[in-house]
Amino acid sequence: MTRTPEDPRLELLQGTLDMLILRILQWGPVHGHGIGQAIRRQSEELLRVETGSLYPALHRLVKRGWLKSEWGVSETNQRAKFYRLTPAGRAQLIREQDRWSQLVRAIGRIMNPAPANEE
Amino acid sequence: MRPDDRDLEDEIRSALEMSIQERIERGEDPGSARRAALEEFGSIAAARDAMHRVWYGRWFDAISMFFQEVRIGLRSLLRTRGLAITVVVTLALGIGANAAIFSVVRSVLLAPLVNRDADRLLYIRHTAPGIGTENFLFSMPEIRDMKSRATTVSAFGDFSTVDFTLIGFGKEPRVVTAGVVNGSFFEVMGLRPALGRLINAGDDGPKAAPVAVLTHRYWTTVLHSDPTVVGKVIRLGPGNATVVGVLEPSVPYPAETQVIANVVTSPHHLGATMQEERWHRMTELFGRLAPGATLEGARAELKAVHASMVHAHPESYSAAARIGIDVKTLRDQIASPARTVLLLLLAAAAVVFVIACSNVANLILARSVRRESELAVRAALGASRGALRRTLLAESLVLCVVGAALGLLLARPLVAVAARYAARFSVRALEARVDGSVLGLGAGLAMVAAVLLAYVPRLPSFDRSNAVNPAVGGFRITPGTNRRLKVFATTQIACSFLLLVGAGMLVATLNAMSTANTGYDMGQVLAVDVPPPASGAGDEATVNFFQEATRRIGELPGVEGVASGMVVPWRDADWTKLKLQFAFEGYRPANGEDNPACKFRPVSPRFFAVLGVPLSAGRDFTDQDGPHAEAVAIVSQSVAQRLFPNGEAVNRHLWFDARSGLEPKPRRIVGVVADADDENVVQVPTMTVYLPWQQLGEPSRLFVRAAGDPHALVPAVTRTLHDISSVQAVERPATLEDVRTQVLTPQRLNAFVFSAFGGIALLIAVVGVAGVLAFSVGARTREFGIRLAVGCEPRQLRARVLGEGAVIAAAGILAGGLGGIALTWAAGRLFGVAQMPGVLPIAGAAALLAAAAILASLLPAVRASRVDVLQALRSE
Repeated sequence: MTRTPEDPRLELLQGTLDMLILRILQWGPVHGHGIGQAIRRQSEELLRVETGSLYPALHRLVKRGWLKSEWGVSETNQRAKFYRLTPAGRAQLIREQDRWSQLVRAIGRIMNPAPANEE
Repeated sequence: MRPDDRDLEDEIRSALEMSIQERIERGEDPGSARRAALEEFGSIAAARDAMHRVWYGRWFDAISMFFQEVRIGLRSLLRTRGLAITVVVTLALGIGANAAIFSVVRSVLLAPLVNRDADRLLYIRHTAPGIGTENFLFSMPEIRDMKSRATTVSAFGDFSTVDFTLIGFGKEPRVVTAGVVNGSFFEVMGLRPALGRLINAGDDGPKAAPVAVLTHRYWTTVLHSDPTVVGKVIRLGPGNATVVGVLEPSVPYPAETQVIANVVTSPHHLGATMQEERWHRMTELFGRLAPGATLEGARAELKAVHASMVHAHPESYSAAARIGIDVKTLRDQIASPARTVLLLLLAAAAVVFVIACSNVANLILARSVRRESELAVRAALGASRGALRRTLLAESLVLCVVGAALGLLLARPLVAVAARYAARFSVRALEARVDGSVLGLGAGLAMVAAVLLAYVPRLPSFDRSNAVNPAVGGFRITPGTNRRLKVFATTQIACSFLLLVGAGMLVATLNAMSTANTGYDMGQVLAVDVPPPASGAGDEATVNFFQEATRRIGELPGVEGVASGMVVPWRDADWTKLKLQFAFEGYRPANGEDNPACKFRPVSPRFFAVLGVPLSAGRDFTDQDGPHAEAVAIVSQSVAQRLFPNGEAVNRHLWFDARSGLEPKPRRIVGVVADADDENVVQVPTMTVYLPWQQLGEPSRLFVRAAGDPHALVPAVTRTLHDISSVQAVERPATLEDVRTQVLTPQRLNAFVFSAFGGIALLIAVVGVAGVLAFSVGARTREFGIRLAVGCEPRQLRARVLGEGAVIAAAGILAGGLGGIALTWAAGRLFGVAQMPGVLPIAGAAALLAAAAILASLLPAVRASRVDVLQALRSE
């Protein structure tokens, strides 16, 4: 997909999609389409996940044992595949969250150094 | 756990549907909602592939793709069932024949022996090319010399055979062949007992207790593996012996025996002749290489020992006989007689495989031409050359794997047949089995065939100007394809020609051998083995027995005459090769020449009349030529002619040459009889001296001349003999014709097997030629239509197609002939023996092939001449 320079959307950082998926699922099962929508909504339309990468990512997480998938019926009465966290996925989410906050702090210190002798 | 492709599709579809639904709910119209959703989703195929890739690796895709090709191939082959079946059966024949022959070759030439350290087990052999003897055997004094002097051989085992009547195990008296061995024989051979123990050093010498070991085959087949045999006492010839054990299954070499006994069981082996006479050679010799010694070292040393023996005892080593000594490993010795035959068979099987492959190649080629338009469509749709090859490979793989599977199923019965056949040449063939390596061979051949076949068809041209127009339903045959088809057909004819000539040679030889004049009356004479009675009866009892038997059988209705002797022609191979030197009164050997070696045969009166050998001068033996009467002899025509060219043989005297070890008493020649060769079924001039058995020897064979069918006399003869002595063994009744047939069994089998190969080849080649012509005619329907339209006679068209068949046949026969000459030349260079086939087999094979090719082109020719002109012209 081409992107025009004025497109406000942000590109996802490498490796963060998995974390976002785990995070979206922490409150319960969601189907693939719902996960994409949730990422968009919760990022206030700034993040838009390409379906071409969302679905393979979901399958990758299932394969690693962090998610489980099962067919169910959506809120609009459509047949859909639902994903939910496994206990291993929950542990992974905690690890990723921890790693993410460390990363943000570290990058933040470099990008926005605290002015010396602020007080 | 792993989602399948359908699951992935479903998931994508449901995501799209949800997206569309959402948009519709937001107020978009269904058409644009669908478009927008699809655009947002991006490439569905890419998404599916990416999801698929999460679960399945790259190799999995390649394989599943291939399986898909195989499935497609299978489906398209099912549509052309006739072709597929022809291909599979042809390949199965080729692969099955190869697998069967290969198993036999492997077991005979390649598999290890059961003997411990078989590569250090030596077979030592005396040869005497001067008197035409490859196996001259050894005498005990010679063996003692070698034992005392050889250092490269740590132990010697000796083995000789004796026929004993065996009574025991609650069975009828039966003559068995017994091996008589020394105490170290089994140690040297490296064999173990299957039961009990074997003969060891404690059983050596004249003071030991008589013991016997049963061979595994005898124990399993006759005694049904009775586990209680050990410890039983049996009567073996003149005395009793205790069975101490059963030998493990092993190659019965040098002779198939039922029991193996120690020396003390055979009075002959203890006698002075056996022990002291250097010329009395009846023992086979084996040895075990000493640690550190090599085969070459042992050969050199034993040759030196032999040379010193010859030097010390010149009287026992006739210069004319050119006695020598050779040492081989037992394994080589056993395999060598079979090597030539097996390699020939392997070559024949390989030729059949080549024929099968070229036939299959033809069929596949023809088929691929027919589907050129299909391939062209695929190529136009973007299939790469590789993809098209892969399709072809998948198809040919399906064909070849099925063919190989069928071939291997076929191999099992074929191995059984081939093993029984090859057992005539090497006992090891009986060990042949179908096993993993044969499966490997079959799979390998299938792969070779599959790859070859996949590369035979031409791919559709990628050059657009030349491309086949798929709109035209027909097919066109290019000159290149046509040439290839004909090359394959010619190859088949050439290979078939080779096989047929080979088979023809063998059949011609067999025919010559089984109809040759032998000098005997073949059909009317019944020969019966009447071995020396078990009681060990002395000379007088034997004489009485035979005189009584002759008298009483002579009185039976339908009997024209009865005689006895010691040799059934061709069957008593031990005897037929034996020659002794005689001195003749009035004949002086030329300078440096020995006295002539002749066969000598103790026979009864009327022997010649009964066997149909005409007396040409003098008289027959009579009952008056008894032990105390004048010593007399009858000689064969060859003796009379060579030694007494002026016809004065009768009334001359002859005597055993001093070196033969027999009493050189003068014997007067009382008669001359026609030559009769009891060694070769194709008679060669034979110098034979006949003596009355009352004066020398002991009869063991009875000959009955019948007025009618000799077989009908068997029960009466057997009953009569049993009436005289109830323990007398009566064995192997057969007419001389039966004996010859039996002796010729290997030749007959050779001829049969090669004829079978030739027949298969011929069949495949006929199918091949017919297929090629049918195809070529089918492809030229239009051409024939035009020819007919412009006034060509159907007869001319027929002749044209027949001519094409004839050209293929002629080219094939010519190529086969040239190949045959090259092969003969190569065989002559490699093996030193090469026989050019006679004119008859060559002409016969050529005529047969030509006739078959013409026959095969008949149907296509008729089809060509019946082409419907209008339809042919309309078809394109």
